Amino acid sequence: MIAVEGVCRVRGRSRVLHEVSFTARPGRVTGFLGPNGAGKTSTLRVLLGLDRPQAGRALIDGRRYVELARPLTVAGALLDGSGAHRSRTARAHLRWMAVSNGLPAKRVDEVLEIVGLTGEAGKRAGRYSLGMSRRLGLAAALLGDPPVLILDEPVNGLDPAGIRWMRAFLRDSAAEGRTVLLSSHLMGELAETADDVVIIDHGEVVANGTLAEVVGEHPTLEDAFLARTAGEGASW
Amino acid sequence: MNAEPNKRDMWMGLVRAELLKLFSLPTAWVGMVLGLVAAPALVFLSAGGTRKAITEGFIRDASDAAFQPLGIGLLGALILGVVVVSSEHTSTGEDSPGARQLQATLAAMPRRGRLVVAKAVALSLIVAVQGVITAVATLALSGMVLGDLVPAPSPGRAAAAVLYWVLMGLLAYALTLIFKSGIVTLTVLIVNISVVSVSYLLTKVTPLAAYLPDIVGPQMFLNQVGDVRIAPATAGVVMTAWVIALLTLGGWLFDRRDP
Repeated sequence: MIAVEGVCRVRGRSRVLHEVSFTARPGRVTGFLGPNGAGKTSTLRVLLGLDRPQAGRALIDGRRYVELARPLTVAGALLDGSGAHRSRTARAHLRWMAVSNGLPAKRVDEVLEIVGLTGEAGKRAGRYSLGMSRRLGLAAALLGDPPVLILDEPVNGLDPAGIRWMRAFLRDSAAEGRTVLLSSHLMGELAETADDVVIIDHGEVVANGTLAEVVGEHPTLEDAFLARTAGEGASW
Repeated sequence: MNAEPNKRDMWMGLVRAELLKLFSLPTAWVGMVLGLVAAPALVFLSAGGTRKAITEGFIRDASDAAFQPLGIGLLGALILGVVVVSSEHTSTGEDSPGARQLQATLAAMPRRGRLVVAKAVALSLIVAVQGVITAVATLALSGMVLGDLVPAPSPGRAAAAVLYWVLMGLLAYALTLIFKSGIVTLTVLIVNISVVSVSYLLTKVTPLAAYLPDIVGPQMFLNQVGDVRIAPATAGVVMTAWVIALLTLGGWLFDRRDP
């Protein structure tokens, strides 16, 4: 369960997030949708304790991320890039992460297997393709078998087979009872995957509900999205 | 699944993770190997010159001669101190230039204060082991090469030299936390050590400059450093105070900055 409550964040003079509130529930895929620069990544960074909000709080299972003693066992996160130093091998990267959270070494091999990197585990992370980097990042997120997954643009850089794999993976994770929160700017992708949708624009939540509620009278999620962020997309 | 680990297990996990990080990083191996081989190698290379310097009286305190080569091996400790931070800030790849390993580190170890401590402990352990091996090898070699010219080294001074290494490694670590850049730290430290010692020039202006880290530190195990003589124990205390102060500042900045 993820609860974001009234999060405000100002950077310099610009307002990045204003009174952002929403929840992501177990057993459901919650899509976090917004144009580039709307505040999706900023919200996820606050949720993961990377940035501090000026007001409000973001909780995972009732606690702030930084308060979690073994965070990898509570929430797995996939942000930009693999997270691995480019001259370290994938296995070495996962190994230190596992050790830091008291996880058994065999878990490293398990997650490598899940994301299909077993054969490439001895390669340096800097030699990975974009798709492989995303898989390595996902492997790290899965290390602690966490009940919560937080993924920033997870299909970015994946080929069609990878996208299909990721979609099935996210659906299966929710079916197992996990809380899945993913951000995206791809409407079509989210409409296929999400149960609930939160739309953010200019740092404010402009729509929040089940996929059906957010789409409402509009023919597609894309239409609903453009209607709610109207006028702003005209920069094309 | 989310049972609270006890404090000891928690700290062991953090320190072991930081040790594994260093051991799986090629640049860190450069620091480890350089620290191990540079000083003993220098003993051989400089043997002739050192022998001459002692017999002709340029080295007033012959007992220093066996310890002086240790200075060059310090480079290894400095590199390790820098790498422990700079590796976190290296871009993970061309595909996502903004991404840093630090994000993964903070995902696994979100308490920044604890992370700073765990890194310091891991670094100290590696540099201490490196320092002990190097000191024993260097002093034994010096004894063989210089023979009767140098008195037998005292274990206390050797221990002080190892402690100095650890403190310098931590100093490099603290400076890299402050500058957020390994290049800046290494440039400052190496230029100051090898090209022109700003601190040494300052000692010509004020004797207080002798208490700057790079002048006061070697006084922990060398008798003849610059013009001001500081007792080894005093030097150790002053050096430790510098490291604690800079680490506190570095840790505070690291905690405040957005990664």
